[in-house]
Amino acid sequence: MRRFLGLTFCAISFAAMAVGPARAAEGETFKIGALLGMTGASSYYGTVMSRGAQIAIDEINADGGIDGTKLELLIEDHKGGNAQAGVAGMNRLINIHDIKAVLTSFSPPTLAVAPIATEKKIFMINGGGFSAKMIGASPYLFHNRSLATDFTRGILLRAKEHGFEKMAMISVKTDAGENVREIAHQFWPELGGAIVADESVAYGAANMDTQIAKLRTSGADFIFAAIFRPDAGTFLKRSKEFGITVPRLGIEYTPDDQKLAGEAAAGFEFTTDYFHPTDDNPWAQAFYGKYKELFNEEPDYYAANYYEGVYVIAELVRRAFEAGIDNPDGAQLTELLWKEPTFKSVYGGDMVFQENGVAQKRVGLFEVQADSEKKFLKFIETTVPGK
Amino acid sequence: MDLFLQLLLNGFVNGSHYALLGVGFGLIFGTTNIVHFAYGPVYAAGAYSAWTAAALLGFPLFLAGLTGVAAATVLGVASYLLLYRPFVRRDAPTFVVLIASLGLFILLENLIAILFGTDKKVVDGYSAGIHFIGPTFYTDIHIYQIASLMILGLALAAFLRLTNYGKAIQAMTDNADMARVIGIDTNKVSILVFAIGSAISAVPAVLILLRDGALPNMGFIAVFVAFLAVVVGGVGSILGAVLGGFLLGMVENVGMWQIPTEWQSTIAFIVLFFVLLVRPQGLFKGT
Repeated sequence: MRRFLGLTFCAISFAAMAVGPARAAEGETFKIGALLGMTGASSYYGTVMSRGAQIAIDEINADGGIDGTKLELLIEDHKGGNAQAGVAGMNRLINIHDIKAVLTSFSPPTLAVAPIATEKKIFMINGGGFSAKMIGASPYLFHNRSLATDFTRGILLRAKEHGFEKMAMISVKTDAGENVREIAHQFWPELGGAIVADESVAYGAANMDTQIAKLRTSGADFIFAAIFRPDAGTFLKRSKEFGITVPRLGIEYTPDDQKLAGEAAAGFEFTTDYFHPTDDNPWAQAFYGKYKELFNEEPDYYAANYYEGVYVIAELVRRAFEAGIDNPDGAQLTELLWKEPTFKSVYGGDMVFQENGVAQKRVGLFEVQADSEKKFLKFIETTVPGK
Repeated sequence: MDLFLQLLLNGFVNGSHYALLGVGFGLIFGTTNIVHFAYGPVYAAGAYSAWTAAALLGFPLFLAGLTGVAAATVLGVASYLLLYRPFVRRDAPTFVVLIASLGLFILLENLIAILFGTDKKVVDGYSAGIHFIGPTFYTDIHIYQIASLMILGLALAAFLRLTNYGKAIQAMTDNADMARVIGIDTNKVSILVFAIGSAISAVPAVLILLRDGALPNMGFIAVFVAFLAVVVGGVGSILGAVLGGFLLGMVENVGMWQIPTEWQSTIAFIVLFFVLLVRPQGLFKGT
């Protein structure tokens, strides 16, 4: 038995050495973790985010990596925003793969893993979740997606610009939806408006007709839809069928929503991260082309954010190598970020991380045309929380 | 009053949808005593098959719908033959079959996502007609939802009352052991109810495909409301499943007349708890 225990101990020690921290600068790999919703109701997001991230990894590796060190993407599934699954995934990334940088998504799992990131010094960048509650959750947590506050303030400023006063709103009962609802309840009265109806709908609900019937009879000047894919498309379609004629404003309109709503989405105005491969942005064009070639779909801003997120981490690792740090942890990557918080953005130009960890980007205002295509109207500068 | 009338109509339409889901699920559950949670992804498979036939193969809508029904029927029967029957033959405890059903649910849902992708599938070019009665609105899909319940409900009732197989199903629902003793082939009857129940599930699935599009997880809500309708109405009672579905639809809609809609998904559980407390066997069991 003693011999057996001895052999077991040796085997475990050997295995621990084998999976121990990779010396990134020795030409091995720098592993980037990703906490994404790969299964369940939100698997669309995980799919497009992982595609964007993997394209960036492949590009960087094809260019020789970071001073010869290749990048590797390791994905853990938080099952569509499940906090417990997020924590389990984060622990696997840290304990099995010795991850130091993580692409995170969705507010609940990100908030759940934030204390772990703080304790274990894990750098995290979020390009998908947009609840303002994530601000300050960890000193090592950054966001290259504009947060709910920005989109909501942007679209409500637009409503004010239209001269609207009475708002009816519909929000999805998720963390993000509730967060937008709170912001709207605070900000719209500050702009001098009144809220005449406030309806909620469960995520992926089979029945939204009740809410839309109540919105229809609310007497509002406009409807603010704080709902996301796939419910945004359902809302646009059903509200048109119900004969709602007042303007509809919102904060998300994905290709899926477009497919479902079709012409019923005409006139819908929304603010969002703006990703478009303009002629003056060859980087965006290259990403767009590669994504479309590989998946026969247009990349949306989720794909673009995670593509961009990998480049942010790669740039920080490059800075670490330059500074003589072979295997940087989250604290060191964060320190290097604050030394120079400006990064090249796939959206065009530069993005600058602010003190609250949110990359300042302009928010795009769009209007859906009669053919259901979105048309860019203008950029809206919004006040960023924490400033 | 405009709002009340609209909510009443919405309740009736949604109730029809829930009732039909409940009928299919309740027929399987009541007869075989198998809590067939994989009914959800079978329902989704019906919608995806119809979408494949309509959008990829160019079938006319009606034929595409029939393809969806056929696919759901095959999948439902296969789930019984390949998964449940081996457990039933070994007299496995109910909870083991339940776990197997949940496993099949996850397997099929993920299989659909892998095969079709996670984006929403919509039948291009279909647009339901919109109608108004005064201030109250309804669409062609609403009419189809109500009509499908009436047609399939009456057809099923006639089948159960007038045919030998229907009587065998009723006998097995009452007492499976006794049915076996008197010579009824319960295996054959089980295959039959899986076929009928799965075929029925595809009809509301195709209508939801036309109304809202299809997503891989669409089966979760479907099996959830079907289960509620059956438990509220009374396991083993087809009429109970219909009335349970209508009750849920009405409560979810008319119940929100003066209550904030954030209570909508909660109210179904309140009804369930209340029914289980007052009448654990379901409201219409034995009627």
